[in-house]
Amino acid sequence: MSSNSQPQHKPRTPSLLLQANGPSQNDPPPTGAPTKSQKQMTKAERREVQERQRAAKAAKVTASGPQSGGPLAKPQHPSSSTSSQPKKTGRGSESPVQSRASTAAGSSGLPNKSTKESKAAAATAEEDAAVRSRGLRIFSHFALQKPTGHIAKGNVHPAIVRLGLMFAEFKICGANARCIATLSVFKRVIQDYTTPPNNTLSRHLMTHLSVQISHLVSARPMSVTMGNAIRQLKMEISGSDIDLPEQDAKDALCGKIDNYIRDRIIIADQVIQETAMRKIHDGDVVLTYARSSVVQKVLLEAWAGGTRFSVIVVDSRPMLEGKRLLSALVSAAIPCTYLLLPALGSVISEVSIVLIGAHSIHSNGAVFSRAGTALVAMMAKQHAIPVVVCCETYKFSEGVRLDSFTKNELAPSGDSFSCFPRNRSPASLIIQNQLNLEILNPLYDLTPPCSITAVVTEAGVIPPDSISSIPLALGRSV
Amino acid sequence: MTAIYSNSTPILPRSDVPNADPDASQHSFDVYEVYQQALADEEISPPLAAILSLTELVTRSDAGTMFELVQALNDGAESLKKRVPNPIGLTAGCELFIGFVTLFPHGSANFSELKREIVHQGKSYTSQVINFRSKIAELTLGFIKDDSVILTHSYSRVVIRALLHAHTRKRISVYVTEARPRGLGLKTYEILTAAGIPCTVVLDSAVAYVMNKVDFVLVGSEAVVESGGLINAVGSSQMAIIAKAENKPFYALAESYKFHRLFPLSQYDLPTHHSGILSFVHPTNRPATEQIKPSQHDVNVQNRPLASLAQTPISGQPSTASPQRTMTSEQMGKNPDVDYTTPDLISLVFSDVGVLTPGGVSQYLVGMFAGL
Repeated sequence: MSSNSQPQHKPRTPSLLLQANGPSQNDPPPTGAPTKSQKQMTKAERREVQERQRAAKAAKVTASGPQSGGPLAKPQHPSSSTSSQPKKTGRGSESPVQSRASTAAGSSGLPNKSTKESKAAAATAEEDAAVRSRGLRIFSHFALQKPTGHIAKGNVHPAIVRLGLMFAEFKICGANARCIATLSVFKRVIQDYTTPPNNTLSRHLMTHLSVQISHLVSARPMSVTMGNAIRQLKMEISGSDIDLPEQDAKDALCGKIDNYIRDRIIIADQVIQETAMRKIHDGDVVLTYARSSVVQKVLLEAWAGGTRFSVIVVDSRPMLEGKRLLSALVSAAIPCTYLLLPALGSVISEVSIVLIGAHSIHSNGAVFSRAGTALVAMMAKQHAIPVVVCCETYKFSEGVRLDSFTKNELAPSGDSFSCFPRNRSPASLIIQNQLNLEILNPLYDLTPPCSITAVVTEAGVIPPDSISSIPLALGRSV
Repeated sequence: MTAIYSNSTPILPRSDVPNADPDASQHSFDVYEVYQQALADEEISPPLAAILSLTELVTRSDAGTMFELVQALNDGAESLKKRVPNPIGLTAGCELFIGFVTLFPHGSANFSELKREIVHQGKSYTSQVINFRSKIAELTLGFIKDDSVILTHSYSRVVIRALLHAHTRKRISVYVTEARPRGLGLKTYEILTAAGIPCTVVLDSAVAYVMNKVDFVLVGSEAVVESGGLINAVGSSQMAIIAKAENKPFYALAESYKFHRLFPLSQYDLPTHHSGILSFVHPTNRPATEQIKPSQHDVNVQNRPLASLAQTPISGQPSTASPQRTMTSEQMGKNPDVDYTTPDLISLVFSDVGVLTPGGVSQYLVGMFAGL
């Protein structure tokens, strides 16, 4: 991995110094590589450069002793844990390193950020070493968790800042909830917006919204649902009439947003409920994983409709979202069983149908959903149990996804502690990122289409790979 | 083609008679009767019969608006479904016709003209359907090699048509399953033998035995569903599984009016499945009846000389004296008529819209229905 990326880097600091300091970083010396400007570099490349500069600085200060780790050791290898190499970590951890980096640099990468960084580096090198964790390089691209207090750049609406915080803290999570929340806040943003003189709403509002969107994205990566909704919104904005009075145009846009929420989410959910509840029969055992708002509605609706079935809620750490579903089901007097993912094998033979939600669905029928879903679906497939995904068509994402490494997020590491042994206090058992420990909790995984029997959409029950045949999913209005 | 016209002509004059009193006609008109009459024709399959009877319903209907008409059609379809034990094929036909009526362009000046146009279209559609089968037969021919050995299941009009067509051009021999309990495989056997095609009836339980000898499996269908799977006479699914296990192609033939907007998740998710199927006998009466019955059989079996036991299967003609173990109608009632073959077991589906993979079928169906 590192060998691929190294020839592209052209560090600004003299390569000799770097060689003396961090052989693992610049081996071979990047002599032949063309010089790239900071803007041309990718994020990863810029990060690399910063790290080297910081390392160089640290080397000057401490006069860098011999490296205990071999020069060929992977950069993230924790063997050489001296303060002389404070910046060799991958980026995949939610450590304060990133918090400082991101506050200084923001998301778009300022051209002068490396100089800022290197000044700051020396000062904070020591504390970095203490609290930093070493990410696995393969997961380094997983979205970072931004610190809660990061500074809003530009003209960001207060409601957006608030929403960003809620996203970052997982106060609002779930594809539908986030999409609805985003659209509702955008309605306020649009209403509070006034077109500056010598500009038209249809052109300027877009740039105004882009700032808000990039703020939200910096808080937590955009979900597919939000992306689809925003694309639709932008289309509506660019299509709005220039001659329309401003307030009318804004009202029209808000109306469009309301319609989108109603048609693509609320009504769609109702149709899915009606369709999916017909797949639940008396005496069935329905298994579901984590919590999906649609699945919860389907189960409650089916129970209210008089079907008598029982539910197995499978859950897993760290988020334990199934608890919320469980409490909703139990308060509706549905017989439930609650278990964690490792126990799935013991109950799978009892199950008659698996009902799961989705974050997004892709052209090839692969379903991106809460981590662990793929395991449940594959297990069910192995036991010839139908796996039904409840998914609105606006969750469709064009493109083919083959694995869950290329794009993923990290779950908040709130609850990942063990309650054993019991003679130690729970506080001492909480696992945290340490120097030689990286907690990796990917938020999503990818369920391959072959382990999905059917997808329930508002356009009917379809096989997973037929989602692209639905015009509605492709954004074409009927 | 003539069959259709001869079938539809007796319906037409009757439709004119009660028009004087529309209310009376609404009461006396029984869509189910028309359906049964249509089915009496050898060439008419349930979806077609449904289309015919709904067309008839349109002629009889005194609906003055589109809404009323569609309502009447839905009611008619509903009453048909209730009275037929296996509504799958019928539903496919009703769905197609009602969808057609709903989307029918409102070009006509007045409504009765529109109705006449709908009836005309419905009739001309059913008359074209026989061409569908010839087209499928022609498509299938390309996949049949000379000297092929084909395994088929039960009785299907379109399979018969395809086999007879293939027989005119190539040498084929056919294994057909008996297809208990209705024994429709014997009907296939008679037709094919009469046409001079070498044909052998095999037991339903001998499918695995015969599979290695056949080149491919050819079955008809009751309905082709949205998953790309197939609903057909019970036994098709196991045939497909065995064919898959031996890597033999499994081809299904289906006219496009059998494409049905249904997505069964499993065998038990079919509309034909009810709690009676596969139910167990209540254990309370087991000591009383069930132990006596087998013991009677056992006595008989023991009384018989061993020689006769050995001979019966060979001769294939069980002697009348020996007790034939057959299922009672009650036992039969616990068995399904149709089963669901999952798309992963099907190689290709031949239909009048072309030769489709199961995935292609599902995309065709999703595009047809979900695009609305």
